Amino acid sequence: MSDLNFNYALLLPEIILAATGGIVLLSDAFRRELKLGRNMLPWITVAGAVLATLASVAQAGIVEDFAGIVLVDAFTTFFRVLFGLTLAVVVIGSHEYVAKQIRGQGEFYTMLLFATVGASFMAMSTELITAYVGIELLSFSLYVAVSLAKSDPRSGEAGLKYVLLGGLASAILLYGLSLVYGAAGSTDYATIAKNLSEGRDGMHAPLLMGLTMVIAGLGFKASAVPFHMWTPDAYEGAPLPVTAVLSATSKAAAFAVLLRLFGGPFLPAIADWQGTIAFLAVLTMVVGNLIAIQQHNIKRLLAYSSIGQVGFMLMAIVTISDASTSAVLMHLGGYLITNLAVFMGVIAFYNQTGSEEIADMKGLAETNPFLALVIAAGLFSLAGMPLLAGFTTKFILFQAAAYGGYLWLVGVAVVASTVSLYYYLMVIKQIYVIQTDGSLLDPQAHDVVVPRWRLTWTGYLTTATLLVAMVVVGLWVAPLAHAADSAAKALFG
Amino acid sequence: MPSSAQDLALTLPHYLVVSGMIFGIGIAVALSKRNAIAVLMGIELMLNAVNLAFLAFSRFGSSFGIASEGNPAAPLAGHVFVVFILTVAAAEAAVALAMAVLVYRRRETVDLDRINLMRW
Repeated sequence: MSDLNFNYALLLPEIILAATGGIVLLSDAFRRELKLGRNMLPWITVAGAVLATLASVAQAGIVEDFAGIVLVDAFTTFFRVLFGLTLAVVVIGSHEYVAKQIRGQGEFYTMLLFATVGASFMAMSTELITAYVGIELLSFSLYVAVSLAKSDPRSGEAGLKYVLLGGLASAILLYGLSLVYGAAGSTDYATIAKNLSEGRDGMHAPLLMGLTMVIAGLGFKASAVPFHMWTPDAYEGAPLPVTAVLSATSKAAAFAVLLRLFGGPFLPAIADWQGTIAFLAVLTMVVGNLIAIQQHNIKRLLAYSSIGQVGFMLMAIVTISDASTSAVLMHLGGYLITNLAVFMGVIAFYNQTGSEEIADMKGLAETNPFLALVIAAGLFSLAGMPLLAGFTTKFILFQAAAYGGYLWLVGVAVVASTVSLYYYLMVIKQIYVIQTDGSLLDPQAHDVVVPRWRLTWTGYLTTATLLVAMVVVGLWVAPLAHAADSAAKALFG
Repeated sequence: MPSSAQDLALTLPHYLVVSGMIFGIGIAVALSKRNAIAVLMGIELMLNAVNLAFLAFSRFGSSFGIASEGNPAAPLAGHVFVVFILTVAAAEAAVALAMAVLVYRRRETVDLDRINLMRW
């Protein structure tokens, strides 16, 4: 077939990321010969991430496919920019943590870079084999990254649980894909859509089974209840920056695949999967938000909170249309900014105190008011308080689901969202109301002087940038809305 | 009653039944075994069932009118998929076994019931 388009320039962002991965790995191995300091590795990684982001921005106007397996359009660009910036922010904000806590820094940064490549391919693939390879590239990189903590015995355990459950989920996803392939006769999204809309006698049962298993497999990757069991363990055992990537890149990439699949090839069979996903959405937001209440480890709390957020975002898959796709893309953007702000705050807190228990955050407002502000603002934004990114994007998401005809689902979401405010406030109570000695704050007493500590400059840079981004998106949502709209239009034509 | 080769020929349903049975055995092994290595073996069995299903659909897809509908590339896609799955399964075994060694060094067990530093 000579009519395929092999324009390798289309893959430039991914090529840059993968090449940076190779450079990081080699410069770690030949550190002595090249006389490089270990502290060069994060900056090489950041340079690669920024270059890849710029390269994908440069391709913003293009709509072109590569060999019929991936498509570069506004949707792809939206996710590439999201992933590139996430990687840059995570690496800048956590390089001190990585230097102290990670075994094999070169491998660690390489895994993050390869994970980002996998995520990009998930967002741009228009063909099942490519999507599957992208999913596995992301997952494998994260399996390894999760288990790289130097002195934490939970890390290896989390890695083993994650890889076994991940393998199980992949096998179920693949069996589903094989049935879909048998029913639709192709692995190409456009051909699947065409064949499914024509309909074929006798193929309904395998298609239904296949779709259900695909939902289970992708639900695992997005950590939807009841396929969420790995999430809290992997989040708690993983080093903090990897937890941040798990909650940001990995989740966004899973939704990119869900949107591409259920907004395209599976759309003709919407009656077969709409109810299943609505059921998963209800279960996910209720269970995620309820179990979060009893957590005492901040990573585990954020794990369950992210499960709850996935429930909200699944609503947009149920009512899939260009309006709800645009809404869920906006919410993904707002959620990523907010979540990264919280994680960068927690990493800075861990660097100073070596603790990730919520109870140890007591009196943070006294010892570091700026960090207290960042974490509190992030948690309020996750809960959906006005003026912050989380409110605006969540409002638009709920509105899109309501217009999609699923008002009852929005009702459940609003109740679940109110529940979530409770456990976010528990953390904020520790920070602002409890003093360092464990007593309640007494507004009358002014004579207590607590020694303050400062963040490093990279800590200030990342947290301040994300705090500003959170407020800007909360107040002036137009640029993000515009990007999300054009991405959704690219998907629905 | 002449029984010709036609009547005895293996068709798509035969392969799919075998594939489904292997997949079921694999999932039962993966969910019931407590040893990490045994769980991995269950997962490999599931992946092989998937491979069989893909190849069967590829080979006998024409009975569902796939190959003849102006889409000659479609049957090959299943074969390609199998090659990728085999490769990924090998990588998966490597990563999972490395992880098992890592845990064994610290805990001297790969029994999933006893690897329980984290709960709820």
